[in-house]
Amino acid sequence: MTLEEIKNVIIEIIQDIDEDADLSSLNPKEALRDQLDLDSMDFLDIVMELRKRYKIQIPEADYPELASLDSCVNYLGPRLQSS
Amino acid sequence: MSSYSLIIIGGGLSGLAAGIRFARFGENVLILEKHSRIGGLNSYYYRKGFLLETGLHAITNFAPPDVKSAPINRLFRQLKISRQQVGFHEQFSSRIYFQDRPTLHFSNDFNLLKDEISRHFPESIDRFISFVSEIDRINAFVPGPHVSARKKILAALNNKLLTDMLLCPLLFYGSSEENDMDFNQFIIMFRSIYQEGFFRPDGTMKDFLQLLKQKYINFGGKIRLKTGVNNIISSSENKSFIQGVRLHSGEEITADFVLTTIGYPETLKLLNNNTSFKKNKIDSLKGKLTFTESIHILPAETKNKITSDQTIIFYNISDHFRYEKPAEAVDINSGVICFPENFKDLPEKDIFQLRVTHQANYDIWKQASINRESDEYVNMKDSWNQKSVKTVSKIIGNYQENVVYEDSFTPVTIEKYTGRAQGAIYGSACKLKDGKIRNEYGAYENLYIAGTDQGYLGIIGSMLSGVSIVNQHILGKV
Repeated sequence: MTLEEIKNVIIEIIQDIDEDADLSSLNPKEALRDQLDLDSMDFLDIVMELRKRYKIQIPEADYPELASLDSCVNYLGPRLQSS
Repeated sequence: MSSYSLIIIGGGLSGLAAGIRFARFGENVLILEKHSRIGGLNSYYYRKGFLLETGLHAITNFAPPDVKSAPINRLFRQLKISRQQVGFHEQFSSRIYFQDRPTLHFSNDFNLLKDEISRHFPESIDRFISFVSEIDRINAFVPGPHVSARKKILAALNNKLLTDMLLCPLLFYGSSEENDMDFNQFIIMFRSIYQEGFFRPDGTMKDFLQLLKQKYINFGGKIRLKTGVNNIISSSENKSFIQGVRLHSGEEITADFVLTTIGYPETLKLLNNNTSFKKNKIDSLKGKLTFTESIHILPAETKNKITSDQTIIFYNISDHFRYEKPAEAVDINSGVICFPENFKDLPEKDIFQLRVTHQANYDIWKQASINRESDEYVNMKDSWNQKSVKTVSKIIGNYQENVVYEDSFTPVTIEKYTGRAQGAIYGSACKLKDGKIRNEYGAYENLYIAGTDQGYLGIIGSMLSGVSIVNQHILGKV
C-alpha cells in the first residue's frame, strides 16, 4: 500500500465514524483531535477498524502515533507495506 | 461444547449495547437472556391488545445532532446507529410539584429552570448559577470516593427546600441510595435531565429493542432467549480465571471473556460454586429501593378534562420529601406521573396513557405474594391503586371514571421478569465503577460487569456502560 493509499484509508475510516465530519480541509500536520470534534472513544474505532481490515495490532502505547494524518501515515507505512 | 470469544449474560440495554460494540469489531459473541424477550428492565408486554411499556417514561440526554460530544451522539456513533433510525421527539415540559410550595417547571431549555428558580427562590439564584458553573467544570466520569450529593448541594445553595426539589426527579430516575446519591452521579444526572432533557423515539420500546437486536445480528452477534445461566465456571488452577458458563439445562459453554449485566449480588450468586461469597454479603448488596407502577389507558377525547399538558410531574405532598424504603407497601406521598404521549410531533392516537410510579416496600409485597391461594396480593394491588388514583387525581384532576384499561406491577413483578433482586431497578447501592469483580484472591481476569451496577443508569447510561466496559477491557484483547 502506498502512503497516499494509507492516507485515504484513514480518511475513509474517519468518514465512516462520523458521516458529518468535514475532511476536505484537514491539515495533515495538525492533530486530528483538534480539527475534528471526536473523542478518545472515536479514536479507538480507528484502531479497531485497522485491526479488523488489515489484522494489524496497534498496542495502546502506540496510540499517540496516530495523532495526525501525517503521523498515522508514517506509523502505518512500514506496517501496511506488505498488504 | 460450543465456545465463544465473549459471552454476555443478560439481554437488556447494557448487554445489547455491549454486544453490538463487540460484534462490530470482533467475532463470536453470544448474549444469554433468561426471559423470553430482550430488554431487561426496559421492555414491554401485551394486555388486552395494548402494548404496554416497562421502564421507559422518557429517554434522558436529549441533544441536537451537532453537539458531537453529547453522550447520546457519542453512544450512537459507537453503535453505528443513525439518529434518523431512532427519531427524536422532545418533551413538552415537566414540573416538580411540592404541595403548598412554589412549583418548578423545566424543559429541554435549561433557561426555563433558571428562570423558575430566580422567580421562586430569588435568594438562591446567584448561588445556583455559580453551583452550575462549578459542576460544569467537573469530569464526573473519573472514579472517586463516594461524596454525598445532598450535602454538596445544600452547602452550595443554602436552601433545604430547593435542594429537595432539585434532587427529587434525579433520585426517582436513578438513585439506588436512600435520600441521596453520589455527587458524581448527581452531576451526570443533572446534565442528562436538566441541562439536556427528555425525548422519546418515533416508535415504542419494542421498536427500539428491535433496532438494537437487528444491529447486533447484522454484525454477526448471536442471542439465545429463555436461556438462564446456572453458574459461572472458573478454572480449578486459577480461581480468578473464568472458563465459561453452565446453563440451567446443564449445557456448558466456554468463553474467553464473560460480561455480566445482571447486577452485582445476582452475579456473585452465579459465582458461588467456585468461591465462598457469604450469603449475608450477597444479601447486604441487594438494592433496597423499588417501585410500583400503574398504567392507565384513557380515550384521547378525555385528555382535556385533566391537567395533561406536560410530560412528567414529579410530586411530593408530605412536609418532608423522602426517598427511601417506605414502612408501608407503597408511599403515595410522592411519585412520578408520566404522560408518554406528551412529546412533540408524535402521531395522534385515539387513546392516551398515564403512568404513575411510587416507591414501594419489597418485603411487604413479597410476603403477600407467597400464598398463591389467597387473594391478598391481588387485593393489595387494588387497594393501593385506589389510594394512588385518589392522590394523583388531586394533582391532575379526576380521571378514574374514564379509564378504559389499567394494569399495575409491583416489586415482585419486577423481580420475576427482570431477575433484579428485590425488584431494585437501580440495583445495588454498591457500584463497581471500574467494571471489575473481586473475590478473595483479587479481581477476576476475564469477567467484567456492565449496566446498572457498574454505575451508569437509565437507558442511555446503561448502554454507555456496556460500550465503555467493552472498549476498556475486552476489545482489542481477544
